[in-house]
Amino acid sequence: MADLSIQVRDMDGVAVMQPEGFVNAHTVQQFESALEELVQSGRVKILLDCQELTYISSAGLGAIMGLIEPIRENGGDILLCNLQRNVLSIFETLGFTQLYQVFDDREAALQALARKV
Amino acid sequence: MKALPDPETFRLTIPSQTRYLNLVTGLAKRASMVAGMDDATASKVSIAVDEAVTNVILHAYHSRSEHWVEIELRFAPKALEIRIWHTGEGLRENEIVLPDPSEYVKHPRKGGLGLLLMSRFMDEIHFSESPDRSECRMIKRVS
Repeated sequence: MADLSIQVRDMDGVAVMQPEGFVNAHTVQQFESALEELVQSGRVKILLDCQELTYISSAGLGAIMGLIEPIRENGGDILLCNLQRNVLSIFETLGFTQLYQVFDDREAALQALARKV
Repeated sequence: MKALPDPETFRLTIPSQTRYLNLVTGLAKRASMVAGMDDATASKVSIAVDEAVTNVILHAYHSRSEHWVEIELRFAPKALEIRIWHTGEGLRENEIVLPDPSEYVKHPRKGGLGLLLMSRFMDEIHFSESPDRSECRMIKRVS
């Protein structure tokens, strides 16, 4: 298995990004490039489905942090769903659950994004 | 007579390249579980080790790949002690200022979170320097 593979699919105007593997200093460039490509193509409603994300280090968090302001300035947002326990623990430890909406499942996250017009 | 190695300690030396991070974090997680930690705690230790070794590669060695990082794991009676040695630029403990997470929430930006994660996930973190190398020592107690 590759260290990180990323699939992106469009669902009702939302870019659903599914990283599989881990995001650390070794794989963060791939992760960041995938996010940047979405923003550059104007797709600013982004759902990170983390079901297959085994861990994320501060390098990965930095990639998300670096893009959240331009995304929100353009009327978009990054939401997260299906976080594994250790990934959720990192977000909670840093207080990032106040900054990003985190959902238990994809359906609830998509509904929340649909309400953002 | 040659001294016997400490039976509760083992060491791993890796090139200063991020491609080996997952090898080290996997080892740290397994070692934490052997020490008696649950899966969630072991995951936190592995993240702290990822951050510490990443700091060495990116900041102490400025991403130069021809150096070495030495990692030692020691099983103490009620704790796992992890030491990370390198010969790059050291970090002085009295100069470390941990970022305030609430400031990150108000003003999102990149960087600075690794040390914060290390400090939150480990019970103790110490940085020290000797003439020939620098050390990061982290301790996680087994509850």
